[in-house]
Amino acid sequence: MRKHLGNVGALLRGFSITFSYMFKKRPTIEYPSVKKKHAPRFHGLHELRRYADTKERCIGCELCSSACPANAITVIGAENSPDDRHSPGERFAARYEIDELRCIFCGLCEEACPTDAIVLTPRFEMADFRRGSFVYSKDRLLVPPEAGVGLAPDERPNGIPSDLGMVAQVKSTMESDTGYDATNRGIILKTQRRGLAG
Amino acid sequence: MPVTKVLTAGIGECDLRDIAVYRQRGGYVQLHRALTTMKSTDVLDAAEKSGLRGRGGAGFPTGKKWSFLPGQIPTRYLVCNCDEAEPGTFKDHMLLEETPHLVLEGILLGAYGIGSHHAFIYIRGEFKRGYEIFMKAVADARAAGFIGKNVLGTGYDLELTVHRGAGAYICGEETGLLNSLEGKRGEPRLKPPFPAIAGLYGMPTVVNNVETLAYLVPILANGPEWFSAVGTERSKGYKIISISGHVQKPGNYEVPLGTPVRELIEIAGGLFPGRTLAAIQPGGGSSACIFPENLDDPYDYESLAKAGSMLGSGAFLVLDDRTDFVQAAYNMVRFFAHESCGQCTPCREGGHWLETVLHRFVQGRGLHSDLEMLHRVSGTITGLNLCALGDSIEPFLKSVLKRFPEQFEARIQTVAV
Amino acid sequence: MVNLTIDGVPVSVPKGTLLVEAVKKIQQEIPVYCYHPKLGPAGLCRVCLVDIEGMPKLQIGCNTPVAEGMVVRTRGEKVDTGRAMVLELLLVNHPLDCPICDKGGECDLQDYAMAYARGTSDVADAKTSKPKGVDLGPTIVLDEERCVVCQRCVRFDELIVGDQQLVLKDRGHKDMIATATGEPYRHHFTGNVTELCPVGALTSKTYRFKSRPWDLTRTQTSCTQCSVGCRMNADVRGGTLLRTMSVESDDAISDGWLCDRGRYNIGYVDSPERITQPLYRKDGSFVQISWDDAFALWAKALHDAKSAPESVGVIGGGRLLNEEAYLLGTLMRAIGVRNIDWRAGVQRQATPGRFSGTLEQLESANVILVIGASPAETAPVLDLRIRKAVRHGGRRFDIDAQNETAALMAARDARSVALVWDGSDVALGARFHELLSGHASLSTFIAGEQGNARGAEALGLLPRDTSLDTAAMLDAARAGTMRVLNLFGVNPALNFSDPALVAEAMRATPFSVVTELFMTETAKQATLVLPVRSAFEKSGTIINATGELLPVEAALEAPVGVLSDLEVLIGLAQALDIALPTEEEVRRTVIAAAAQRSDDAFGDARYVWSQKQAVQAQRRHLFAGGGTSAHDVRIAALRPADSLAIPVGV
Repeated sequence: MRKHLGNVGALLRGFSITFSYMFKKRPTIEYPSVKKKHAPRFHGLHELRRYADTKERCIGCELCSSACPANAITVIGAENSPDDRHSPGERFAARYEIDELRCIFCGLCEEACPTDAIVLTPRFEMADFRRGSFVYSKDRLLVPPEAGVGLAPDERPNGIPSDLGMVAQVKSTMESDTGYDATNRGIILKTQRRGLAG
Repeated sequence: MPVTKVLTAGIGECDLRDIAVYRQRGGYVQLHRALTTMKSTDVLDAAEKSGLRGRGGAGFPTGKKWSFLPGQIPTRYLVCNCDEAEPGTFKDHMLLEETPHLVLEGILLGAYGIGSHHAFIYIRGEFKRGYEIFMKAVADARAAGFIGKNVLGTGYDLELTVHRGAGAYICGEETGLLNSLEGKRGEPRLKPPFPAIAGLYGMPTVVNNVETLAYLVPILANGPEWFSAVGTERSKGYKIISISGHVQKPGNYEVPLGTPVRELIEIAGGLFPGRTLAAIQPGGGSSACIFPENLDDPYDYESLAKAGSMLGSGAFLVLDDRTDFVQAAYNMVRFFAHESCGQCTPCREGGHWLETVLHRFVQGRGLHSDLEMLHRVSGTITGLNLCALGDSIEPFLKSVLKRFPEQFEARIQTVAV
Repeated sequence: MVNLTIDGVPVSVPKGTLLVEAVKKIQQEIPVYCYHPKLGPAGLCRVCLVDIEGMPKLQIGCNTPVAEGMVVRTRGEKVDTGRAMVLELLLVNHPLDCPICDKGGECDLQDYAMAYARGTSDVADAKTSKPKGVDLGPTIVLDEERCVVCQRCVRFDELIVGDQQLVLKDRGHKDMIATATGEPYRHHFTGNVTELCPVGALTSKTYRFKSRPWDLTRTQTSCTQCSVGCRMNADVRGGTLLRTMSVESDDAISDGWLCDRGRYNIGYVDSPERITQPLYRKDGSFVQISWDDAFALWAKALHDAKSAPESVGVIGGGRLLNEEAYLLGTLMRAIGVRNIDWRAGVQRQATPGRFSGTLEQLESANVILVIGASPAETAPVLDLRIRKAVRHGGRRFDIDAQNETAALMAARDARSVALVWDGSDVALGARFHELLSGHASLSTFIAGEQGNARGAEALGLLPRDTSLDTAAMLDAARAGTMRVLNLFGVNPALNFSDPALVAEAMRATPFSVVTELFMTETAKQATLVLPVRSAFEKSGTIINATGELLPVEAALEAPVGVLSDLEVLIGLAQALDIALPTEEEVRRTVIAAAAQRSDDAFGDARYVWSQKQAVQAQRRHLFAGGGTSAHDVRIAALRPADSLAIPVGV
């Protein structure tokens, strides 16, 4: 009996911890109705930015992809032509893809970028139902011209990117149902198969 | 006053362009004597003994230059360099226009001296008048039998080709001249091989200045000892000095080498009243400046080298105390940057860079960092180049930058833009 | 030998060696831009400065020959200051657009600036702006801002190619590369200037902005587009063949150069027009079938014809690798087929028999006689060897009616004679060998159109005794006596002198098989079309025009469902239930075939081609869209209005 009483004591001691927390401030939040505020330089989803004249900042130099420790970025360059000009200068990124599942959000791509084209926004919600949709290509990374261009990184107060996340403001980035064709050759093989089948 | 008249004798007194007048004054006697009584090695010996050094700029002993020709190759060429374009030099110009037969006789003697049967003269494109005068002289000399097959019946064939350049400074550099003469781009060649081994059309070639070759005539007439008796220990003989700048009587003056610098200024009429001497550029645009403390130095190759400059082509530019040395340095650098052939990096890029920076100084937009850069760059470019042009860009700039830093500092931009 | 000390290390090198080469002995480097081992010193860039004891000024390492007892320092404060100065000056006007420069990552200016420059710049003025992306010709783009005026390209045109198209224009800091006439820069070797250029001034249009060097996977292989077989590097990114580069150390075959055909006619491997599944003609149109069905149909056709093996013909082999050619011959002979011939185009002969020579012999020949089509068209890099021989004092005669006598006279007196022949007109070749046979040092080079013609010949893909050759097979097929025709990697409907005959012959044959990459003119007439791999997608060996056995390495994966000819033959052998030779046996046979120098040359003069026919058949030019280049989108984009005479491997 004495032994059992001892157990009750232990129970009470245990519950006292539980009860004591009932009256403290709750650390959990009711996500997604309530969202937590991140640190100002939180590394989240990428965004490709534009210049004030709506030209793409990205010149397709692949420095981000070579800096990427997770090999998450694929860039294939192409030449601007007078009728089809994407960026200032001669070269632009014909394909720009980031595999957000591979990405470790280290921000080295941002550091490597010579034109401040690729930046990490505070957005972190990327959940989806298909692995393929985590490969973000230019259609989901590039800021639409109507979203404006925001400030250049060196003009931001304290360098804190408060004006990011503009792709999300204008269009949902979760609507893609395209598959993953990582390389040119992938596309070729796909079209070949399609062409011969149909 | 040590002004002597050797090459310049008779200029302004009689029409030396007339072959009859020239011959009457003893012209073509030395050529005749050499061809008839002397072996070609005798001419070479005379040149060597006289201590004659190249009057074009480098000051290389002429006899020694000739002796580099390999003996076993019979085809060899003499090229007379009359592409006088060094800023401040105007002596060859005068010789060509005033006493063309002396120049011609010198060339023919030189050709005979090295055993060449074909001589060339490369005349600067801008010397149209000189070219026309010289062509007439050549025609007269040919009619008199001094040029062509079997000269003066001695059995010696000697052909002369007159080539008129297109006005590039770099074609005054001997290998650039040879390229231009061959019809190629006027770009200096990579040495070795030197022209004495493989020069014009790949044959052994000697390139001599007009004045150098012209001095052969009086040397043969008076004997090498007459020539070597004048001058200093290693700088023998006479030299035509083209004095210009802030003097009262600028012009060509023929003096013995070793004449004190102070005397040269006096010969040219001295400074303008009320002015004081600031600097002298003693050897053409590619030489560094000497300053009033060098006034008593003798004007010869060694003393000027000791003073950090050079005798060069004998262009003597006097600059007094009112000179804007920033502008002067800019003008010098701009000239060389413009005349760079663009082959080698230090000259092509360095010249253009210095020109751009100095242009800003002229406009009063210099920077403090530029001064440091000018000091550093102007000390490094020399010695890195393919030919002497690149080494000529900065001596003037460097010397005045060191001597008159306040003039440069005054042009530094004080107001932030 | 000369003994000297470089950086404190004693070195012994032959007399006349330049310092820049001597330092390589001690695994050191002197940075160079204008110097190139194949072009010699020019003394322009001034970056190769070294400090030689006893010399007051820094000397350039590229033009200073070694001397006995010389003491050289390649580093040290004096050298480093001078070198840093030169690099700083080079960078005064060089744009910092490395991120978008095709050379970025393999650029000498980047490398040396990192290794030797100061790291900071005093330049306060804007860089000079010059035109970018200047169209220099069908293959090359010039970026004037990036040019460092090393003149390597100019000297390549002058010394190696010998036609002096590229020159310097203007003077001083405005110096710029341009063609002398202002016309487009075009000859058979333009692509080499992109490799010679130490910076990104001259770049290839086909590779423009396609990749960065660190993305590329490099495979060393041999070019199979003509019979020279130059060693080359195939650079692949993500399964796409982006460029081919020469192998600088390849002195034996290519001398370090590549022709534009080998360099630019590569995009076809990625063409969307490639066939990827066996196609069978059913009721007049092609249907896709499986490989199993294809082998079964083929085996049945061969089995049905077993009673009459003379009604089965095999054409092709010059585009197959040695192993495939050997297997083809073995397999067909195992089922009794004797009508085998590799000669589907103009070339009638690939092996010059006992006259076979090496490229070094060609290079040092005193008199070179060129008969038939120009080697510049059929085997361009071989032509560079001839030009080298001419540069060293050899005399070249492109034989025609006028100069034949003079050429033979010159050949009679020459120490060594080389005969270069396209292999088409056998009577012509035999006649010249007859005329020159008395000469002790005659070497013959058959500059043929197909990569492995010599291999096919050495491995026995030739008709024997009474069996039929290509023309006879086609005649027989038109007459209706052929039951099965097997065509391996050939397109006689385009290349044969009588395309109508080919079409009729194929239509009259009940069963014809074609292995191909594309639906060619020939494949369209076939019963069964089998997709096969290109030379970049399979491994094996070839034998080039001089009898060298050269390896071919697979640089990229073949499209799904595409087999190599070897796998096709193995599949057929299995369907026919025939035992094949072992790998070891194949290997030994190939090596033996390469080593053998056949003596019975010039036996077959039955089917003589006229010169006109040969030339007509070879007019399929890279930029006119012939051969495989027809399927290359990158070449199609570059194609100028008029054609450039670079024939295309077919």
